[in-house]
Amino acid sequence: MSRLHLLGFIALAGLLVAVPLTAENEYELRLFMLFLIYGLIAVGLNVLVGLTGLVSLGQAGLFALGSYTGAILAVRLGADLITASIGAAVVAGVAGVALAYPTVRVRGVYLAVVTIAFGIIVENVAIEWSSLTGGTTGLSGVPMPNVLGYELSGYGFYGVLAVTLLLATLAAHNLKVSAYGRAMLAVSQSEIAARSLGINATGMRILAFVAAAVTAGVAGVFYSFLNQYISPDIFTFSDSVRFLLMVILGGAATTFGPVLGAFTLTYLPEYLQEFQLWQKFAYGALLLIVMFVLPRGVLGTAGFVLKRLRPPARGLSEAEIASAQADLAPAARGATAELVTDGLTVRFGGLTALSAANVRVKGGEVHALIGPNGAGKSTFVNAISGVYRPTSGSFGIDGEDLTGKRQHEIAKLGLARTFQNTELFGDLTVIENVMVGGQIGLSYGLADALLRTPRQRREERALRAAAVGLLAFVGLTEHANEAARYLPFGLQRRLEIARALAARPRLLLLDEPAAGLTTQEIDDLAAMIRKIAASGVSVLLIEHHVDLIMAVADTVTVLDYGQVIASDRPGVVQNDPRVIEAYFGTPVAHGEFAEAAS
Amino acid sequence: MTTVLQYTLSGLAIGGVYALVALGFHIMWSTAKAVNFAHGDTLMIGAVLAVLGVDAGMPVWLACSLSILAGAVFGVALERIAVRPFTAEANSIGWMLATIAIGIMAESLATMQFGGFSRALPSPGVDRPISVFGAGVYPQELLIPAVAVLLTLGLGLAQKRTLVGRAMRAVAHDKRAAALMGINVNRIVALSFGIAAVLGAGAGVLVAPVIQASATMGVLIGLKGFAVAIIGGITSAPGVLVAGLAFGVLEKFVEGYISTAAREIVAFGVMIAVLLAFPQGLFGKRETVKV
Repeated sequence: MSRLHLLGFIALAGLLVAVPLTAENEYELRLFMLFLIYGLIAVGLNVLVGLTGLVSLGQAGLFALGSYTGAILAVRLGADLITASIGAAVVAGVAGVALAYPTVRVRGVYLAVVTIAFGIIVENVAIEWSSLTGGTTGLSGVPMPNVLGYELSGYGFYGVLAVTLLLATLAAHNLKVSAYGRAMLAVSQSEIAARSLGINATGMRILAFVAAAVTAGVAGVFYSFLNQYISPDIFTFSDSVRFLLMVILGGAATTFGPVLGAFTLTYLPEYLQEFQLWQKFAYGALLLIVMFVLPRGVLGTAGFVLKRLRPPARGLSEAEIASAQADLAPAARGATAELVTDGLTVRFGGLTALSAANVRVKGGEVHALIGPNGAGKSTFVNAISGVYRPTSGSFGIDGEDLTGKRQHEIAKLGLARTFQNTELFGDLTVIENVMVGGQIGLSYGLADALLRTPRQRREERALRAAAVGLLAFVGLTEHANEAARYLPFGLQRRLEIARALAARPRLLLLDEPAAGLTTQEIDDLAAMIRKIAASGVSVLLIEHHVDLIMAVADTVTVLDYGQVIASDRPGVVQNDPRVIEAYFGTPVAHGEFAEAAS
Repeated sequence: MTTVLQYTLSGLAIGGVYALVALGFHIMWSTAKAVNFAHGDTLMIGAVLAVLGVDAGMPVWLACSLSILAGAVFGVALERIAVRPFTAEANSIGWMLATIAIGIMAESLATMQFGGFSRALPSPGVDRPISVFGAGVYPQELLIPAVAVLLTLGLGLAQKRTLVGRAMRAVAHDKRAAALMGINVNRIVALSFGIAAVLGAGAGVLVAPVIQASATMGVLIGLKGFAVAIIGGITSAPGVLVAGLAFGVLEKFVEGYISTAAREIVAFGVMIAVLLAFPQGLFGKRETVKV
């Protein structure tokens, strides 16, 4: 944990101890407890908004779900605080999974509307199902908070709230700095790249939604016990907007931002009360001002300014570089890595982009795939990496059938790729990009991440060391701490290769790696590819650049109109009449040069 | 039988309002890939200002025209202030929150001016109910869906036949290419927000005699309008029209046979179900991604 974060946690703990000691009356303490409850919601919502970049405008619905579950368990079944919380966490968590499901297909504004709809549905179910919820009159008679039969005093309940908020903030922070947090950020910045590195993007979004739902649910139970009365009008759309504003105002993806935001928005209405009618107006104006002046939020902006004033070193220390070793060899899963496709066919509607392609990439070789534009090269790459599902035919690595597997499953079985138009995680640093690539090999679980166990630290250290080694291999150690989006184009291509290698694949798929590079950079690339192949990784190279292919390829396969028209050593393919025809047309036709290799 | 006809006719009336609101969302989304989340408040502005205008002694037609004009100004101004600054960045949802913020402000201003109560706009359309096969409806209620159908057809025609309409379709298809062809993209986007706002405020004026105009009427109608746009497929104007009318009728039946709360549950439940089964809406086009 960085020194600043440690200081922050100490300050937060100090505040939580000091307030009940100095509170002048019960009302003041009650208001502060309300802040603790809102803080809990905001901290959970921050996992969703800050890390996965998804917006939920239905948190009030999850909050209501938790409140009602807790209150009903307590009133009707006499459950204590712990049982009620567990019940509410389960119910809200299930709702969180259900809310995450649409993200498989819809994002952005559509998702926001789904969450709004969810909130409205919960509100109206609470009204309609009056035998259980008391309808519009609400549910009263929630008992005093009690644990295992002992009634908690006001301070006892305060202690529960304060400790919960502190632990939730700590857990969210630990999650953020773990592989899970990085994976969530990666998914939000380039889902396709994250999937290609073995990250289960849907799983990450479900996890984030569940985190946001469970915290809101537990906060709801606390609210029921604090208020001892709940009714549907406490959980409206404008409350959902307020919870989201807490996160954005404080600073999405920062550790303490949501707590600060919750604090501000709990106390601000108290001060605005004298404006009466203008209160709501001021509230809207505040949201607008935040969007314009502080889009990163208070703490996000503060962090940004701090970085400007005292920029961290761009590169890595000599000691760290010296201690790391580049390890390219595939994770021990068989010596050779042979890709075989059998009659691989991809059709889009009536168009056959790839027709019964049989390609064999032998273990440890550099295999180039060439062909005029529209020949089906990209389709081939996307089919074997799981982006497209083949219409018929099959493919596998080392005899293991991969047909029909999803992208992240194929990645886990040893295929890593780069992209034609680079797909980096732009806001992550260079070294973090490579670490995301290496996460496939981690074995610590969610509990280790939340608690930051020794095992988590050990594996993270090893992951970082491996990443440093790969950065040294591609020559990017001097840029390790820069955001990937600010790298010059040529270096971005290298970073993608390092990131793909971090997954320790058996087969590396390079999709036009030389496009846009200078001659010098292409020579470096050729040397790099040879080194990679020498370490036992098979390389499938999709390229237009003939010089590069002649320099590195052991075998060349030529595609034209979706069909394999030649596959042999480079020298043989070069003189194959069908290949010449595909590129230059038939001699009889006196055709113009069609899409020649450039 | 009369009850069924009664629910269908009044369902078509409210459905026409949803269709008009959703049509606005369709127009905004086509050109800007962003919408005005305070669009429901545009409708509220239309309705409330019309009532205030009549209060001030204006004839109904003048009050309605001026309030629709005010709605259009609101739509164009909002695009400039709250949408344009955020759409430059891909995948930004800043415009969503910014327009929600303006909606909150508009609503609280209206509450201050109009008070917290609801009032109907006097209109010749609600003087006397007429009987259609035994079901009593106001002429105004029949007018609303008719206007929605006519405007959808007119819009489709304008987009095919006029230069501005073709420019709008070009912008919807590819902003950058449209700009390279000499189309002023910003102006087209502003225009589309203006047209959407005219439809929204117009819907407000049309519905104000039937349901009560109030400062808070916009939020739910706006959300339902967006739900309708999603169900119908936000890229398809006819789809949005059909979905809007069907949505209104469905609502009326649930409300009539069960309750108002059940109406909201079913309405938004249907939206989520449609979105899961047809992410592009029932009549929308699929947008594909290439890597």
